[in-house]
Amino acid sequence: MNQPLCKPWEHQLSRRNWLGAVGAGAIGTAGLGGLLPPVLADDVNHNKRQVLFVWIDGGMSQLESWDPKPNTQFGGPFRAIDTTVPGIQISELLPRTAQQMHHMAIIRSLCTQDNSHSAGVARIQRGDPKNRGVTYPYFGSAVAKLMGPGQSKLPPYVWIKPGSGGFKHQDAGFLGPRYGALAFGDGQPPENLLRPETLSEPQARARSELRQRANNRYQQGRNPTVTEANSYVFDVAQTLMDRKELFDQSNFSASDVARYGSHEFGRHMLLGRKMLEAGVRFVKVNSYGWDTHGDNFNGHASLMPKFDQAFAAIIEDLAASGMLDQVLVIAMSEFGRTPRINGHIGRDHWPEAWSLAMAGCSVGRGIAVGETNAEGTWVESEEHDIGHMFHTWFKALGIDPQHTEYDNQGQPLPIAHDDCGVIKELLS
Amino acid sequence: MIQSNDTETLKSRFETHEQYVVSAEPQIVAARFSPCGTQLVAGGFDAQVRRWSLEADKATELPVMEGHDGWVHALGFNTAGTRLFTGDSWGQLRGWAYDQPHPTPTWIQAAAHDGWLRELHVSPDGHTLATCGRDQVVRIWSADDGSLQQELVGHGQDVFCVRYHPDGRTLVTGDDRGVVKQWDVATGECLGEFDASVLYLLHRLQDVGGARVLAFDKTGQTLACGGTTPKNGGTVQGTPTILLFDVATRAVTHTLKLGAPNHCLVHDIHLHDEGFVMAVTSGTPGQGQLLFQRPEDDAPFYVNTKMPNCHSLSVHPDGTRLAVVATNRGSNGNGRRLDKEGRYAGNTSPIHLLAWGAQADA
Repeated sequence: MNQPLCKPWEHQLSRRNWLGAVGAGAIGTAGLGGLLPPVLADDVNHNKRQVLFVWIDGGMSQLESWDPKPNTQFGGPFRAIDTTVPGIQISELLPRTAQQMHHMAIIRSLCTQDNSHSAGVARIQRGDPKNRGVTYPYFGSAVAKLMGPGQSKLPPYVWIKPGSGGFKHQDAGFLGPRYGALAFGDGQPPENLLRPETLSEPQARARSELRQRANNRYQQGRNPTVTEANSYVFDVAQTLMDRKELFDQSNFSASDVARYGSHEFGRHMLLGRKMLEAGVRFVKVNSYGWDTHGDNFNGHASLMPKFDQAFAAIIEDLAASGMLDQVLVIAMSEFGRTPRINGHIGRDHWPEAWSLAMAGCSVGRGIAVGETNAEGTWVESEEHDIGHMFHTWFKALGIDPQHTEYDNQGQPLPIAHDDCGVIKELLS
Repeated sequence: MIQSNDTETLKSRFETHEQYVVSAEPQIVAARFSPCGTQLVAGGFDAQVRRWSLEADKATELPVMEGHDGWVHALGFNTAGTRLFTGDSWGQLRGWAYDQPHPTPTWIQAAAHDGWLRELHVSPDGHTLATCGRDQVVRIWSADDGSLQQELVGHGQDVFCVRYHPDGRTLVTGDDRGVVKQWDVATGECLGEFDASVLYLLHRLQDVGGARVLAFDKTGQTLACGGTTPKNGGTVQGTPTILLFDVATRAVTHTLKLGAPNHCLVHDIHLHDEGFVMAVTSGTPGQGQLLFQRPEDDAPFYVNTKMPNCHSLSVHPDGTRLAVVATNRGSNGNGRRLDKEGRYAGNTSPIHLLAWGAQADA
């Protein structure tokens, strides 16, 4: 059974706490939430692919970003601008991203089910599958499970976010806490990750050897999967300790900082790129504060340029380095914002017709899929739910969403909503 | 000059009574009386300039003026009322001949600003007008032919508001960080700054608040700067706040806190000749205030909260009437919400025609 590892308010995490928590969880759940055997072979073939998941918490307005409707009743004050792809226009608030459009795909036909944050964030990030009495994993946990940490041995699912960090086991759902997110609060590593100066290297080595002997003793007469899970956790921690330079922002080049922006989101996106370059399988970067029920247009006038700066920079860099062939990039919120403009000159929650942006792997380049009506109120083409996106993302990562299942203590579970499918137009 | 120190007397004199409401659909940004007082002119979210002919008990809509894009966010008359100037959120500025039944543009600056033209103000002598915008620049234009006279650079931020000093020799501009600059109109030199930074907050990634509206008193000795004391971004909450500055020293003389955090923003200000501040606020949907307060008092002597989300305030030239742009009730709501006909309707901007004193009695 899944053991609760920490309460939501227990966000501060030390290395010792993290090791203990994950280890206990892994022991408690080892063997659960596995995969049916045929899938494991597929993992090996696609294990180079990675994900950058940019989560715009609160709800970016589709009308001020990917699906502008200038000069219409709900269009707002901003203009639409051309991009590098003829025929595709986006908001004037995204001038840099417009120059990267030939690497990207936009989908404008999202119609999802939840207009509240409290339920919507989890519902969207878990793919809103059919209710089978289990808590599904977030996309990051799913990828961590399905694709593993890769050769870097770094934690497979890291989350770079403002505020506090910690181990977010809740993300993993029935997969078990081993597949939760390791959150780097404000881009910082877990507290006490590095060997304290008071502990010499020989002492640390001695401690490790002692732990290994204890492990060996513990293994005797036990299921090896249990002890392997425990060892995995320590290995990941050791790998993180060996890669402490990843967190040293003084190593970031001045030109990179200037390009990504010295603001919080820019710094975090740049760290996200470093994590991808180091081989982390799934990197989630969060931005908070997008719930613009009031002063939406001044809010987006302030927020969007910062998003634009960092997002365009990372697309440009991943494309230039060739990594975009292997990195699936997704930028999205839990829903869009209402076309109707309220009295506080804000926009409210709107899951009925919204957009997200993608790039990389086998995602088509320079395309816009789906269409809303002239005023942006409803989807005019075929509607797509988050389940369709999960199918499409898994497919882009080389995972067959139709034939891959989780094995939850013998209960086979589809990895994405059964009634949805891949949006083929989004893939090349 | 204040005629009475008694707030009860002030309240009885200036308590407003609604004459009628003009319906504006879709929403409008602001409405202003024409200098002759016979018309009301408004800039819309639909790129149109709306006009109404005003009578004692009703308003008759006149043909709209077209040619703008986005939102018509700025408008102003010259003192004689013979010219109207309008600016939009795509950066276009227009001068209109307004001394004829069907106003026509006399000149057009298609790209007066790169993007959102936030506000314009006509100089006291009517020869020039100043504009400001999201492109961080302030520009001065000839009212006659729309030619560029001066460019004032230095804010480095989105410039929200602009006002000429009553003497016409200087003007002030306010930006999204709460910096208010005073400029010499003739030379373009920045003469100094008024510190309104309490109206700004960086919350997470968002620059919240800023100097949203400026107004001088008739003498030019006092400058009012309105906005909010921000609490948070996103939905944006904060206490509506007006700072009153002594223009000579640029020091704050009074800080007026005008409500609770959910009242949020001061959208418009008028400094009454009798020495009190008139302002409208808009906050959480449903929250709106029209209020009058003397600088030295702790609280307004008059507050009207019957009009949700007030966005502009215009005082009639006869000094006895007001036009307040508000919002319909129930303007917010998540998700699919349709009207009785099953339409996804937009919100509206009722314009409340209010009167006080003898005019109200009539």
